[in-house]
Amino acid sequence: MVRFRWRCWAWPRELRQAGILGMNQRNASYILPHNPRQYFARVDDKLLTKQICEQAGIPVPHTLAVLERQGDVRRIAGILGDRAEFVVKPTQGSGGRGILVIAGRTAGGWITSAGEEIRQADMQYHLSAILAGLYSLGGRPDRAVIEERLTRHGALAHVTVGGTPDIRVVVYRNVPAMAMVRLPTVASRGRANLHQGAVAAGIDLSSGRTTGGVCRSRIVDTHPDTHQPIAGIVIPGWQELLAASVRLATRLELGYVGIDFVLDENRGPIVLEANARPGLAIQIANRRGLLHRLRAIDSDALPRLFSVSEATGSARHRWRDRHVLGHASAR
Amino acid sequence: MLHRKYATHVFLVLVVCGTAGVALRYRARHDLQHGLDDTAWRLMYFIEGEARRAAADLRAAAPADTAHCRVFRQDFRQENLRINPRGRSSAQGWEVVARAERPGRCQMTLRFDLRLNPRASWLTHELRGTLTADQRAMWLRATPEIQVHHPVVSEILTAARDGGASQSGLAQRLYQFCRAQLATEDVEAADDAATVLAEGRGTPLGCARALLALCRAAKIPARPVAGFIVTAGDDAAAHVWVEVFQEERWVPYDPVNGYEEELPSNFVPARRGDDQIVMARGVRNLRVEYDIDPLPRGVLEITAAGRSPADILDLTRLPLEMQRVLALILLMPFGALVTCLFRNIVGLRTSGTFTPTLLALCFVFADWKTGCIILVAAFLLGIVTRYLIDGLKLLILPRLSIMLTLVVFCMVFGVSALEYFRIAPETQAVLLPMAILTMLVERFYMTSQEDGARVALQHLAGTLAVGFCCYLVLCWEAVAQWILAYPEAHCFTVALLVLIGRYTGYQLLEPWRFRDLANERAA
Repeated sequence: MVRFRWRCWAWPRELRQAGILGMNQRNASYILPHNPRQYFARVDDKLLTKQICEQAGIPVPHTLAVLERQGDVRRIAGILGDRAEFVVKPTQGSGGRGILVIAGRTAGGWITSAGEEIRQADMQYHLSAILAGLYSLGGRPDRAVIEERLTRHGALAHVTVGGTPDIRVVVYRNVPAMAMVRLPTVASRGRANLHQGAVAAGIDLSSGRTTGGVCRSRIVDTHPDTHQPIAGIVIPGWQELLAASVRLATRLELGYVGIDFVLDENRGPIVLEANARPGLAIQIANRRGLLHRLRAIDSDALPRLFSVSEATGSARHRWRDRHVLGHASAR
Repeated sequence: MLHRKYATHVFLVLVVCGTAGVALRYRARHDLQHGLDDTAWRLMYFIEGEARRAAADLRAAAPADTAHCRVFRQDFRQENLRINPRGRSSAQGWEVVARAERPGRCQMTLRFDLRLNPRASWLTHELRGTLTADQRAMWLRATPEIQVHHPVVSEILTAARDGGASQSGLAQRLYQFCRAQLATEDVEAADDAATVLAEGRGTPLGCARALLALCRAAKIPARPVAGFIVTAGDDAAAHVWVEVFQEERWVPYDPVNGYEEELPSNFVPARRGDDQIVMARGVRNLRVEYDIDPLPRGVLEITAAGRSPADILDLTRLPLEMQRVLALILLMPFGALVTCLFRNIVGLRTSGTFTPTLLALCFVFADWKTGCIILVAAFLLGIVTRYLIDGLKLLILPRLSIMLTLVVFCMVFGVSALEYFRIAPETQAVLLPMAILTMLVERFYMTSQEDGARVALQHLAGTLAVGFCCYLVLCWEAVAQWILAYPEAHCFTVALLVLIGRYTGYQLLEPWRFRDLANERAA
């Protein structure tokens, strides 16, 4: 058990020593130079991300339908048939906005994963709102995509309430730099949204084992609803997940990118989306700053982009073991 | 690294441009400020006489330019005289020279328009240097009115010398003697030096001559100066004062009015070295009168260079109402700077980038009471309506339009209600940006739905806090006046924005956000 003094303030010097990456530095030193503007569309549009993933052989949720025009909305009942489980998403949404997870069917509509009833009119309104651009960046007209609902993996079931946990890996110059898992709570109404009270837990990159958690920016050791310990859970298929994140980052040609996975019971880690402006909360979840790791990756003078085979080769493994995974905290 | 170097260069260029711009304009405005003190005067000479023969001549000394005085216009009318258009320039000054065309009555009217400015220091050709032997002899000589060798003069001089003063100190003592001992009387008094000194009283001219005689007796070169004291009044007359050659320059003394070494700005000399302004040869019954009148200031503006394209850069020339609006617009970059400071340096989140600045702008136009009441009313009613509308399941644009209509109603009836309760609303409150208020409500609602009421309230509080700071900046009347006069000072604003744009350090709120991480390390 870690004991620490409670303080409401930390000196910038302490943050620097801890290697905390600040918002300004993230924008100016990592996003601006490493993420070319013209490639942002690859992550801002989920359908495009999906295409890239499929080309690279990275598993993604199967697309059931894509709605592009308001006219399609009326035909939604025909498109969906009697399907009971699916997910509705805006293709250009951010921060999980506008995502509707349907878990069951009723006589006049559907039931969401959180247990709310959605009638057909509600569904049509939601789809119209997506197409009108309510959830898209800058309010541009958008498309709605209907995907299969993934089966929740049992490994995280005891620390999840209501929704599906997702795993975020921050990949810097095609080397995984940090990872966390976001666990839905009652407060977050089944969504993996940290603002609303979901729990975030850091993941040790070398072993895929979770470390302690954070809820509303404060450190927690157990899940607030299930009271199960958060630390020590091994993420199944961790090495495939890391390899997939590196492969996707290479294909996206973005130097600083956050890639979100969900664990499917049958298919293993599946890419949900990628984010060209990954948030800084991952540092709190890992209780560790990103800067030391990013600098370690820089200091190895890697070529800006390297092939997947190289990234997963033994030389890289050794490099990664030495500099990034696990031992980075010693720096 | 390249970016940093480039940014540094841009920053330096902006600072240099800003400084140069402000400095140049400061100079220009400084001159303009002087212009505000300008007064215009008309000095008239009425000269009349009877020429005894053809080619009798009249010489009238024109007012000379000084550090505070400029002749900006002149005009001559004459009868039976031929005026040499170039005049005559001499050590005494510039003269208008006229020659009679035929014997008999002749007259001329000279008009000089003067520009006087007590704060100006226009360039003058001040003569410095030593006097030649001839000049020295000339300014030491005795004349019938300046009796240098008169016993009274010697007596007073001996008394003054007793103090053992140096030559320059002596001149000052002599001036002080004249100032203290000689009474100035306008009529029925003597005007030659010896009599004035003997009697202790004399005309103004006599007093000046007494000082001249004393100085010359002490071997200090001294000369009379005939000129004018430019003031409004009925009895305009020429005035004579004395210049004493001290330390290689002519130093003025006026024993009548009590000025030494420096004369007021409204003393305008005309002829140096003689006590008459107008001199005539071969003219009988010479009659000279002067008149000094103030002119309206507009005269000066007409004579100024007129409109020039450079005036476009001068915003202070615009009508006051327009200036007020332009000043507000010019303050907007400061509002943006405040927003940048809060978002990038402090790390406060706001809803919308320029929403706080625009809200603040409207509060400046309306009074804050009206603005606050209407803002709060529109916001609360908007949120309630937004919850109610949600049940209708409307598309985004029609929904926003309904909200806009509601906000408009809030404003109109808010103003009406304030008027009813006699809180005297400002109709400018209607200028509150309805679209921005609508979006504020919509964003608040969406954020509270997506990220929770806590985050929505945080964003709202951030917006209001930044808006309030913007309001304080926009209200700052002195800054508004200043930026209107020196719009190029925004080079500094842009330079600061470049600095903020290159700031990669921690935001002020980040030590709080990441406090646990540092705590863990400390443990």
